[in-house]
Amino acid sequence: MKASVAAIRYALPEAALDNEQLASEYKGWPAEKIYEKTGIQTRRVAAPDECASDLAVRAAQALMVQASLDPSSVDFLLNCTQTPDYILPTTACVLQHRLGLPLSCGALDFNLGCSGYIYGLGLAKALIESGQARRVLLLTADTYSKLINPADKSVRTLFGDGAAATLVLAKGKETLIGPFVYGTDGAGAGNLIVPTGGMRQRVVPQAKLVPDNSGNARTVNDLYMNGAEVFNFTLCVVPEAVKQLLAKAEIVQEAVDLFVFHQANRFMLDHLRRKLQIPAEKFVIAMEQVGNTVSSSIPIALCQAQEEGRLAPGALVMLVGFGVGYSWGATLIRWGSSSLD
Amino acid sequence: MTKREFVRELEDQLEMPEGSLKENQALAELAGWDSLAAVLFMALADEKLGVTLSNDQIAKSKTLNELLALLDDRLTTA
Repeated sequence: MKASVAAIRYALPEAALDNEQLASEYKGWPAEKIYEKTGIQTRRVAAPDECASDLAVRAAQALMVQASLDPSSVDFLLNCTQTPDYILPTTACVLQHRLGLPLSCGALDFNLGCSGYIYGLGLAKALIESGQARRVLLLTADTYSKLINPADKSVRTLFGDGAAATLVLAKGKETLIGPFVYGTDGAGAGNLIVPTGGMRQRVVPQAKLVPDNSGNARTVNDLYMNGAEVFNFTLCVVPEAVKQLLAKAEIVQEAVDLFVFHQANRFMLDHLRRKLQIPAEKFVIAMEQVGNTVSSSIPIALCQAQEEGRLAPGALVMLVGFGVGYSWGATLIRWGSSSLD
Repeated sequence: MTKREFVRELEDQLEMPEGSLKENQALAELAGWDSLAAVLFMALADEKLGVTLSNDQIAKSKTLNELLALLDDRLTTA
Protein backbone atom coordinates (compact mmCIF):
# COMPACT_ATOMS: atom_id res chain seq x y z
CA MET A 1 0.00 0.00 0.00
CA LYS A 2 1.18 3.49 -0.79
CA ALA A 3 0.59 6.68 1.19
CA SER A 4 -1.57 9.58 0.07
CA VAL A 5 -2.62 12.96 1.42
CA ALA A 6 -6.37 12.63 1.89
CA ALA A 7 -7.43 15.85 3.61
CA ILE A 8 -6.10 18.96 5.33
CA ARG A 9 -7.69 21.41 7.73
CA TYR A 10 -6.29 24.29 9.74
CA ALA A 11 -7.12 26.36 12.82
CA LEU A 12 -6.07 29.85 13.87
CA PRO A 13 -6.42 31.68 17.17
CA GLU A 14 -9.06 34.38 17.35
CA ALA A 15 -6.98 37.46 18.21
CA ALA A 16 -5.46 39.30 15.27
CA LEU A 17 -2.48 41.63 15.08
CA ASP A 18 -2.83 43.79 11.99
CA ASN A 19 -0.53 46.32 10.38
CA GLU A 20 -2.46 49.28 11.74
CA GLN A 21 -1.78 48.04 15.25
CA LEU A 22 1.90 47.51 14.47
CA ALA A 23 2.19 50.94 12.84
CA SER A 24 0.73 52.58 15.93
CA GLU A 25 3.35 50.90 18.12
CA TYR A 26 6.40 51.40 15.92
CA LYS A 27 7.12 54.93 14.81
CA GLY A 28 8.14 55.58 11.26
CA TRP A 29 6.63 52.41 9.90
CA PRO A 30 3.24 53.01 8.31
CA ALA A 31 0.82 50.16 7.70
CA GLU A 32 1.14 50.27 3.90
CA LYS A 33 4.92 50.05 4.21
CA ILE A 34 4.65 46.96 6.36
CA TYR A 35 2.38 45.27 3.85
CA GLU A 36 4.62 46.25 0.96
CA LYS A 37 7.75 44.88 2.61
CA THR A 38 6.29 41.69 4.03
CA GLY A 39 3.15 40.81 2.09
CA ILE A 40 1.37 40.35 5.42
CA GLN A 41 -1.76 42.20 6.52
CA THR A 42 -2.69 40.25 9.63
CA ARG A 43 -1.22 37.61 11.85
CA ARG A 44 -3.13 35.70 14.52
CA VAL A 45 -1.97 35.60 18.11
CA ALA A 46 -2.82 32.85 20.58
CA ALA A 47 -4.52 33.88 23.83
CA PRO A 48 -2.40 33.78 27.00
CA ASP A 49 -3.89 30.44 28.03
CA GLU A 50 -4.05 29.01 24.50
CA CYS A 51 -1.33 26.56 23.51
CA ALA A 52 -0.26 25.25 20.12
CA SER A 53 -1.84 21.93 21.11
CA ASP A 54 -5.22 23.65 21.56
CA LEU A 55 -5.01 24.90 18.00
CA ALA A 56 -3.97 21.41 16.91
CA VAL A 57 -7.04 19.92 18.58
CA ARG A 58 -9.33 22.33 16.73
CA ALA A 59 -7.63 21.59 13.41
CA ALA A 60 -7.80 17.84 14.01
CA GLN A 61 -11.46 17.95 15.00
CA ALA A 62 -12.33 20.00 11.93
CA LEU A 63 -10.42 17.48 9.81
CA MET A 64 -12.26 14.54 11.31
CA VAL A 65 -15.59 16.18 10.55
CA GLN A 66 -14.59 17.10 7.01
CA ALA A 67 -13.22 13.66 6.22
CA SER A 68 -15.93 11.82 8.17
CA LEU A 69 -13.09 10.21 10.05
CA ASP A 70 -13.77 8.05 13.06
CA PRO A 71 -11.01 8.88 15.60
CA SER A 72 -10.77 5.22 16.56
CA SER A 73 -9.49 4.45 13.06
CA VAL A 74 -6.34 6.58 13.45
CA ASP A 75 -3.37 4.37 14.25
CA PHE A 76 -0.56 6.93 14.39
CA LEU A 77 -0.29 10.55 15.52
CA LEU A 78 2.64 12.77 14.51
CA ASN A 79 2.83 16.21 16.15
CA CYS A 80 5.30 18.74 14.76
CA THR A 81 5.85 21.62 17.17
CA GLN A 82 8.53 23.82 18.67
CA THR A 83 6.14 25.15 21.30
CA PRO A 84 5.02 21.99 23.10
CA ASP A 85 2.80 21.94 26.19
CA TYR A 86 5.64 20.51 28.30
CA ILE A 87 9.27 19.47 28.09
CA LEU A 88 7.74 16.15 29.04
CA PRO A 89 5.47 14.31 28.64
CA THR A 90 5.15 14.30 24.86
CA THR A 91 2.37 16.62 23.72
CA ALA A 92 1.24 14.00 21.18
CA CYS A 93 0.40 11.67 24.07
CA VAL A 94 -1.78 14.34 25.63
CA LEU A 95 -3.38 14.90 22.22
CA GLN A 96 -4.16 11.17 21.85
CA HIS A 97 -6.26 11.51 24.97
CA ARG A 98 -7.90 14.80 24.04
CA LEU A 99 -8.79 13.61 20.54
CA GLY A 100 -10.15 10.25 21.66
CA LEU A 101 -7.68 8.28 19.58
CA PRO A 102 -7.41 4.58 20.44
CA LEU A 103 -4.99 3.25 23.06
CA SER A 104 -3.36 1.24 20.29
CA CYS A 105 -2.34 4.42 18.49
CA GLY A 106 1.33 5.37 18.23
CA ALA A 107 2.11 9.01 19.01
CA LEU A 108 5.16 11.21 18.98
CA ASP A 109 6.27 14.84 18.82
CA PHE A 110 8.96 15.98 16.49
CA ASN A 111 10.74 19.31 16.84
CA LEU A 112 11.11 21.07 13.51
CA GLY A 113 9.97 24.45 12.24
CA CYS A 114 9.67 25.62 8.66
CA SER A 115 10.75 22.27 7.20
CA GLY A 116 8.47 20.28 9.51
CA TYR A 117 5.64 19.53 7.10
CA ILE A 118 7.95 17.90 4.58
CA TYR A 119 9.55 15.71 7.26
CA GLY A 120 6.08 14.92 8.62
CA LEU A 121 4.95 13.67 5.22
CA GLY A 122 8.15 11.66 4.92
CA LEU A 123 7.59 10.02 8.29
CA ALA A 124 3.90 9.36 7.58
CA LYS A 125 4.73 7.79 4.22
CA ALA A 126 7.45 5.66 5.81
CA LEU A 127 5.11 4.40 8.55
CA ILE A 128 2.46 3.48 6.03
CA GLU A 129 4.66 1.94 3.38
CA SER A 130 6.56 -0.12 5.92
CA GLY A 131 3.26 -1.54 7.07
CA GLN A 132 3.38 0.04 10.53
CA ALA A 133 0.31 2.22 10.14
CA ARG A 134 -2.63 2.77 7.83
CA ARG A 135 -4.11 6.09 8.97
CA VAL A 136 -1.68 8.77 10.11
CA LEU A 137 -2.82 12.05 11.60
CA LEU A 138 -0.07 14.60 11.00
CA LEU A 139 -0.37 17.75 13.09
CA THR A 140 1.68 20.91 12.81
CA ALA A 141 1.20 23.58 15.47
CA ASP A 142 3.11 26.55 16.86
CA THR A 143 2.66 29.68 18.93
CA TYR A 144 5.86 31.57 18.13
CA SER A 145 4.14 34.72 19.41
CA LYS A 146 4.84 33.49 22.94
CA LEU A 147 8.57 33.48 22.17
CA ILE A 148 8.70 36.96 20.66
CA ASN A 149 9.53 40.13 22.56
CA PRO A 150 7.05 42.97 21.81
CA ALA A 151 10.04 45.26 21.26
CA ASP A 152 11.27 43.12 18.36
CA LYS A 153 9.29 44.36 15.40
CA SER A 154 11.30 42.37 12.88
CA VAL A 155 9.96 38.99 14.02
CA ARG A 156 6.71 40.24 15.50
CA THR A 157 5.71 41.41 12.03
CA LEU A 158 6.45 38.13 10.34
CA PHE A 159 5.28 35.26 12.52
CA GLY A 160 1.70 34.17 13.11
CA ASP A 161 0.25 31.41 15.29
CA GLY A 162 -1.64 28.52 13.81
CA ALA A 163 -2.06 24.79 13.40
CA ALA A 164 -2.94 22.32 10.66
CA ALA A 165 -4.07 18.72 10.59
CA THR A 166 -3.36 16.43 7.66
CA LEU A 167 -4.70 12.95 7.10
CA VAL A 168 -2.27 10.60 5.38
CA LEU A 169 -3.78 7.27 4.32
CA ALA A 170 -2.70 3.98 2.87
CA LYS A 171 -4.17 3.91 -0.61
CA GLY A 172 -3.58 1.79 -3.65
CA LYS A 173 -0.32 1.11 -5.46
CA GLU A 174 0.48 4.41 -7.07
CA THR A 175 3.12 6.65 -5.52
CA LEU A 176 1.26 9.77 -4.46
CA ILE A 177 3.84 11.20 -2.05
CA GLY A 178 7.53 11.50 -2.87
CA PRO A 179 10.36 11.34 -3.69
CA PHE A 180 12.02 13.34 -0.96
CA VAL A 181 15.05 15.57 -0.73
CA TYR A 182 16.28 16.42 2.76
CA GLY A 183 19.01 18.70 4.06
CA THR A 184 20.49 19.96 7.29
CA ASP A 185 23.14 22.51 8.20
CA GLY A 186 23.64 23.02 11.90
CA ALA A 187 26.16 25.77 11.21
CA GLY A 188 23.14 28.03 10.90
CA ALA A 189 21.72 27.14 14.30
CA GLY A 190 22.44 30.51 15.84
CA ASN A 191 20.61 32.48 13.15
CA LEU A 192 17.09 31.51 14.20
CA ILE A 193 17.07 30.62 17.84
CA VAL A 194 15.55 30.98 21.28
CA PRO A 195 18.79 30.81 23.27
CA THR A 196 17.34 29.86 26.66
CA GLY A 197 14.67 27.51 27.95
CA GLY A 198 16.39 24.31 26.88
CA MET A 199 19.12 22.42 28.64
CA ARG A 200 22.03 24.47 27.27
CA GLN A 201 20.88 27.55 29.13
CA ARG A 202 17.85 27.72 31.40
CA VAL A 203 15.47 30.70 31.27
CA VAL A 204 17.16 33.80 32.72
CA PRO A 205 14.95 35.57 35.29
CA GLN A 206 14.65 39.35 34.78
CA ALA A 207 16.71 39.15 31.62
CA LYS A 208 17.95 42.47 30.22
CA LEU A 209 16.31 43.97 27.14
CA VAL A 210 19.13 44.43 24.63
CA PRO A 211 18.63 46.67 21.58
CA ASP A 212 20.28 45.84 18.23
CA ASN A 213 21.37 48.04 15.33
CA SER A 214 18.00 47.91 13.59
CA GLY A 215 15.80 49.42 16.26
CA ASN A 216 14.69 46.08 17.66
CA ALA A 217 15.22 44.80 21.18
CA ARG A 218 14.95 41.42 22.84
CA THR A 219 16.20 39.49 25.83
CA VAL A 220 18.15 36.26 25.77
CA ASN A 221 14.88 34.43 26.49
CA ASP A 222 13.29 35.64 23.24
CA LEU A 223 13.32 34.54 19.63
CA TYR A 224 16.24 35.92 17.63
CA MET A 225 16.46 35.83 13.86
CA ASN A 226 19.28 37.11 11.67
CA GLY A 227 17.18 37.86 8.60
CA ALA A 228 20.07 38.50 6.26
CA GLU A 229 21.81 35.25 7.14
CA VAL A 230 18.61 33.24 6.79
CA PHE A 231 17.88 34.90 3.46
CA ASN A 232 21.35 34.04 2.25
CA PHE A 233 20.88 30.42 3.33
CA THR A 234 17.57 30.24 1.47
CA LEU A 235 19.10 31.57 -1.74
CA CYS A 236 21.81 28.92 -1.62
CA VAL A 237 19.73 25.94 -0.61
CA VAL A 238 16.24 26.19 -2.11
CA PRO A 239 17.03 26.31 -5.83
CA GLU A 240 19.40 23.37 -5.39
CA ALA A 241 16.79 21.34 -3.51
CA VAL A 242 14.24 21.97 -6.26
CA LYS A 243 16.76 20.82 -8.85
CA GLN A 244 17.63 17.69 -6.89
CA LEU A 245 13.98 16.78 -6.41
CA LEU A 246 13.18 17.15 -10.11
CA ALA A 247 16.20 14.96 -10.94
CA LYS A 248 15.17 12.34 -8.40
CA ALA A 249 11.60 12.31 -9.72
CA GLU A 250 12.91 12.30 -13.30
CA ILE A 251 10.60 15.09 -14.36
CA VAL A 252 11.05 18.58 -15.78
CA GLN A 253 9.99 21.67 -13.86
CA GLU A 254 7.13 22.27 -16.34
CA ALA A 255 5.54 18.99 -15.24
CA VAL A 256 4.81 20.45 -11.82
CA ASP A 257 1.34 22.01 -11.64
CA LEU A 258 1.72 24.00 -8.45
CA PHE A 259 4.57 25.09 -6.19
CA VAL A 260 3.93 25.61 -2.50
CA PHE A 261 6.94 26.88 -0.61
CA HIS A 262 7.20 27.59 3.08
CA GLN A 263 5.60 31.03 3.47
CA ALA A 264 8.56 32.77 5.09
CA ASN A 265 8.06 36.28 3.75
CA ARG A 266 6.78 37.72 0.52
CA PHE A 267 10.02 39.33 -0.57
CA MET A 268 11.92 36.07 -0.27
CA LEU A 269 9.18 34.11 -2.05
CA ASP A 270 8.97 36.57 -4.95
CA HIS A 271 12.73 36.46 -5.33
CA LEU A 272 12.80 32.65 -5.35
CA ARG A 273 9.93 32.46 -7.82
CA ARG A 274 11.73 34.77 -10.24
CA LYS A 275 15.05 33.04 -9.74
CA LEU A 276 13.51 29.64 -10.47
CA GLN A 277 11.45 31.06 -13.32
CA ILE A 278 8.20 29.66 -11.97
CA PRO A 279 5.15 31.33 -13.55
CA ALA A 280 3.10 33.30 -11.04
CA GLU A 281 -0.04 31.26 -11.66
CA LYS A 282 1.80 28.10 -10.53
CA PHE A 283 3.23 29.68 -7.39
CA VAL A 284 1.20 29.93 -4.20
CA ILE A 285 1.48 32.96 -1.93
CA ALA A 286 -0.84 32.57 1.04
CA MET A 287 0.53 34.60 3.89
CA GLU A 288 -1.43 37.82 3.76
CA GLN A 289 -3.93 36.89 6.46
CA VAL A 290 -1.82 34.55 8.57
CA GLY A 291 1.85 35.53 8.36
CA ASN A 292 4.59 32.92 8.71
CA THR A 293 2.95 30.04 10.58
CA VAL A 294 6.12 27.93 10.69
CA SER A 295 5.41 24.22 9.96
CA SER A 296 1.74 24.97 9.26
CA SER A 297 2.51 27.42 6.47
CA ILE A 298 2.57 24.80 3.73
CA PRO A 299 -0.63 22.94 4.71
CA ILE A 300 -2.45 26.25 5.23
CA ALA A 301 -1.28 27.41 1.78
CA LEU A 302 -2.54 24.12 0.28
CA CYS A 303 -5.94 24.66 1.89
CA GLN A 304 -6.11 28.20 0.54
CA ALA A 305 -5.06 27.05 -2.92
CA GLN A 306 -7.83 24.43 -2.75
CA GLU A 307 -10.40 27.07 -1.70
CA GLU A 308 -9.34 29.26 -4.62
CA GLY A 309 -9.76 26.40 -7.08
CA ARG A 310 -6.07 26.22 -7.87
CA LEU A 311 -5.73 22.55 -6.93
CA ALA A 312 -7.31 20.24 -9.48
CA PRO A 313 -7.67 16.54 -8.63
CA GLY A 314 -4.57 14.80 -9.94
CA ALA A 315 -2.44 17.94 -9.77
CA LEU A 316 1.27 17.41 -9.14
CA VAL A 317 2.36 19.73 -6.35
CA MET A 318 5.89 20.51 -5.21
CA LEU A 319 6.31 21.35 -1.53
CA VAL A 320 9.50 22.95 -0.23
CA GLY A 321 10.12 23.72 3.44
CA PHE A 322 13.24 25.52 4.70
CA GLY A 323 14.39 27.48 7.70
CA VAL A 324 15.21 27.08 11.37
CA GLY A 325 17.95 24.55 12.07
CA TYR A 326 18.99 25.04 9.39
CA SER A 327 16.74 22.33 8.05
CA TRP A 328 15.10 21.85 4.67
CA GLY A 329 13.15 19.37 2.66
CA ALA A 330 11.24 19.06 -0.59
CA THR A 331 8.74 16.58 -1.95
CA LEU A 332 6.06 16.05 -4.57
CA ILE A 333 2.47 15.08 -3.83
CA ARG A 334 -0.31 14.07 -6.16
CA TRP A 335 -3.48 15.85 -5.08
CA GLY A 336 -6.41 13.46 -4.97
CA SER A 337 -10.10 13.67 -4.39
CA SER A 338 -11.02 14.23 -0.76
CA SER A 339 -12.69 10.91 -0.24
CA LEU A 340 -11.57 8.28 2.21
CA ASP A 341 -10.89 4.74 1.06
CA MET B 1 25.25 45.09 -16.52
CA THR B 2 27.31 48.20 -15.83
CA LYS B 3 28.25 49.47 -12.40
CA ARG B 4 26.07 52.53 -12.94
CA GLU B 5 23.05 50.40 -13.88
CA PHE B 6 23.52 48.26 -10.81
CA VAL B 7 23.76 51.29 -8.53
CA ARG B 8 20.61 52.70 -10.11
CA GLU B 9 18.78 49.42 -9.42
CA LEU B 10 20.00 49.56 -5.85
CA GLU B 11 18.79 53.17 -5.45
CA ASP B 12 15.43 52.00 -6.78
CA GLN B 13 15.20 49.11 -4.29
CA LEU B 14 16.19 51.39 -1.41
CA GLU B 15 13.74 54.03 -2.66
CA MET B 16 16.43 56.67 -3.01
CA PRO B 17 16.48 59.32 -5.72
CA GLU B 18 18.54 58.53 -8.81
CA GLY B 19 22.13 59.65 -8.42
CA SER B 20 21.95 59.98 -4.65
CA LEU B 21 24.13 56.94 -3.94
CA LYS B 22 27.77 57.92 -4.16
CA GLU B 23 30.45 55.27 -4.48
CA ASN B 24 32.46 56.50 -1.53
CA GLN B 25 29.30 56.62 0.57
CA ALA B 26 29.98 55.33 4.06
CA LEU B 27 27.23 52.80 4.73
CA ALA B 28 27.08 53.50 8.45
CA GLU B 29 26.09 57.09 7.66
CA LEU B 30 23.50 56.16 5.06
CA ALA B 31 19.98 56.63 6.39
CA GLY B 32 18.02 53.49 5.68
CA TRP B 33 21.02 51.16 5.46
CA ASP B 34 19.92 48.43 7.81
CA SER B 35 19.73 44.67 7.73
CA LEU B 36 16.86 44.87 5.24
CA ALA B 37 19.05 46.92 2.91
CA ALA B 38 21.74 44.25 3.19
CA VAL B 39 19.14 41.67 2.16
CA LEU B 40 18.05 43.83 -0.77
CA PHE B 41 21.65 44.14 -1.92
CA MET B 42 22.08 40.38 -1.64
CA ALA B 43 18.90 39.76 -3.62
CA LEU B 44 19.90 42.24 -6.31
CA ALA B 45 23.36 40.66 -6.70
CA ASP B 46 21.74 37.26 -6.95
CA GLU B 47 19.04 38.23 -9.39
CA LYS B 48 20.93 40.57 -11.71
CA LEU B 49 24.38 39.01 -11.62
CA GLY B 50 23.89 35.47 -10.35
CA VAL B 51 26.25 36.16 -7.48
CA THR B 52 25.51 34.74 -4.05
CA LEU B 53 27.11 36.90 -1.39
CA SER B 54 27.34 35.96 2.24
CA ASN B 55 26.03 38.23 4.95
CA ASP B 56 29.58 38.29 6.32
CA GLN B 57 30.99 39.81 3.14
CA ILE B 58 28.31 42.49 3.17
CA ALA B 59 28.77 43.25 6.86
CA LYS B 60 32.54 43.74 6.35
CA SER B 61 31.99 46.37 3.64
CA LYS B 62 32.19 49.91 4.96
CA THR B 63 31.48 51.88 1.80
CA LEU B 64 29.40 51.37 -1.32
CA ASN B 65 32.66 50.93 -3.24
CA GLU B 66 33.63 47.99 -1.06
CA LEU B 67 30.22 46.43 -1.65
CA LEU B 68 30.51 46.86 -5.39
CA ALA B 69 34.02 45.39 -5.27
CA LEU B 70 32.42 42.12 -4.17
CA LEU B 71 30.77 42.04 -7.58
CA ASP B 72 33.72 43.41 -9.52
CA ASP B 73 34.23 40.71 -12.10
CA ARG B 74 30.53 40.66 -12.98
CA LEU B 75 30.04 44.37 -13.56
CA THR B 76 31.26 46.10 -16.69
CA THR B 77 32.45 49.69 -16.50
CA ALA B 78 30.97 52.18 -18.98
